[in-house]
Amino acid sequence: MDRRKMLALLGVSPVLVADAPSYARTASRNAPKAGAAVTSGLVTALNPAVTPQLAQRVPLAPRLSTLEGKTIYLVDTDWGGMGQNDGILQEMQAWFAQHMPSVKTILKVKKGNFVTDDPALWKEIADKKGDGVILGVAG
Amino acid sequence: MSHESGEIEQKYGIPTVSLAGSNVVSFGIGPNLTYNTGMPLRYVGVPFPFSGQPRSVLRSYIEGKDTVSGKPMMAAIVDGLTKPLTAEERMSGNPPESTPEPRLLPPDTEDHLQLLFKERCWTDYNPVIIPTEERVAAMLKGTGHKPDEIVKSAAGTFGTRRPFTVEKVATIAVMAGAKPAYLPVILALANEVPYQDSTTSIAEMVVVNGPIRKEIDMNSGLGALGPNNDANSVIGRSMTLIHKIIQGYDEGVTGFASLSNPLRYDNLCFAENEEALPEGWQPFHVQMGHKPTDSVLTIFTGWNFINSTGWVEQHYAPQNLMRDYMSSLSGMGATLLMDPSVAELLNNVQGFTTKEKLAEWLSQNVEKIAQSYWGNAIVSSMLGPLGEQGLEPYASWKKLPGDAVIKPFTNPKGIHAVVVGGKTASVWFATDFMPGRGVSIDAWR
Repeated sequence: MDRRKMLALLGVSPVLVADAPSYARTASRNAPKAGAAVTSGLVTALNPAVTPQLAQRVPLAPRLSTLEGKTIYLVDTDWGGMGQNDGILQEMQAWFAQHMPSVKTILKVKKGNFVTDDPALWKEIADKKGDGVILGVAG
Repeated sequence: MSHESGEIEQKYGIPTVSLAGSNVVSFGIGPNLTYNTGMPLRYVGVPFPFSGQPRSVLRSYIEGKDTVSGKPMMAAIVDGLTKPLTAEERMSGNPPESTPEPRLLPPDTEDHLQLLFKERCWTDYNPVIIPTEERVAAMLKGTGHKPDEIVKSAAGTFGTRRPFTVEKVATIAVMAGAKPAYLPVILALANEVPYQDSTTSIAEMVVVNGPIRKEIDMNSGLGALGPNNDANSVIGRSMTLIHKIIQGYDEGVTGFASLSNPLRYDNLCFAENEEALPEGWQPFHVQMGHKPTDSVLTIFTGWNFINSTGWVEQHYAPQNLMRDYMSSLSGMGATLLMDPSVAELLNNVQGFTTKEKLAEWLSQNVEKIAQSYWGNAIVSSMLGPLGEQGLEPYASWKKLPGDAVIKPFTNPKGIHAVVVGGKTASVWFATDFMPGRGVSIDAWR
């Protein structure tokens, strides 16, 4: 007999067996003996869980064929306060200068604070023909 | 940040790479994609902590590995901007329907259900009352609202859609041990999800005002902040369960509170002792524009909860010690919880004939030095950038020497007082809890 069916007949929840093998062993020992009414002592409970709705899928923008000769904006989101992210972004700028010198990097700090949006900056990046953006650091 | 990356990608067609600390990056590539943005943003993981690290450490981070892919970090960034999109990254439109949660669980023993509820993270790890159909039906008699009425849809962290009904709240109320008469309060509480979460030790406080306090025997007097009253305890516990079950808070998956906060065990649920307010001191909900006859629930959010430790000394007026203790708070807001005997002293002896006058005095007298003020990361991250952009007084405060004295509570309306307690000691708490909007409990009767 299928193990799940057998356990169900013994009054052991297959859900519990799947998730908690140690408990299932205890439960099996305490299960009603063969011949006992398997429905006795069972209760029906309402399920408190809610059904989360999946987000509508949105595609990413097409990627660049190369970074050579491109303009990349590094945007400090100001997470964690003043000067918490710019060090990492400046180190990235230095890396590009050393390893990919044809890449032009521009470091910008987002206006507002880390919980506010800065749509003017996104538009500025687009208007100035920014090819790519590195944004962060969230923590 | 995901919203911003998404806007740059979608609105302007510019490829982005999102940098996130290794402490939270799993949220971005997991639940945030599935339930919030729907956009498989390309994340690169930065070792945590990165704040306050010397440049040599930051350099070692970028010369090291991306914590998501395991590739060298800069190679991962270049890939993020140049590697062609996968089929999944090009997907658009509606996803398949989520598998709906069944209304009923398969019949099982109470012991098994207790274990199941723990395993599904539906408890605070104390036993719950199993929500049988009979118990939930009895609970629903506590409200005139229909069981299938949707209370709210945007209930998940960051407002993700997790629609829930009155019956779900009644089910949780049963689990917490509530009486049907508590249900309107618990529905008002549920209506306020999503609750505030943070990697910091943020917590919440639930204050109830108005006639409902007496109707359900909430404690606003002796021992009101302790585990000494059924309604206070059970309503506070309900908030924990709503947070976990309805909002979907799951430590390490959708939430990352490093230490969390012991105040979250019962969410500081109590009623204001309106009957013991000195003459001229209004109940909190009346201060916020409600009628005295309205029953209102207010959720406060904060971090600190400083005990007066002992009672008020005759030679040092209570407002002076409040001022001293409040100097350790951030200055973004404060709520004083005080015994009625303290309120009487402040009113009768010290001349604070209203709560507002006390707030005004504290606003003018609490001081701290500038470097301590800016040393608080919440202040620094929320107000520092605004100061850099010229907003006063933060712009001027940023220019001050570190030992310059400032008055951080610029707005007296951000300082609140709630009177609670049993007059067996003249004690108080100074907190940095800040109130949200008051919610009508009457609307859920």
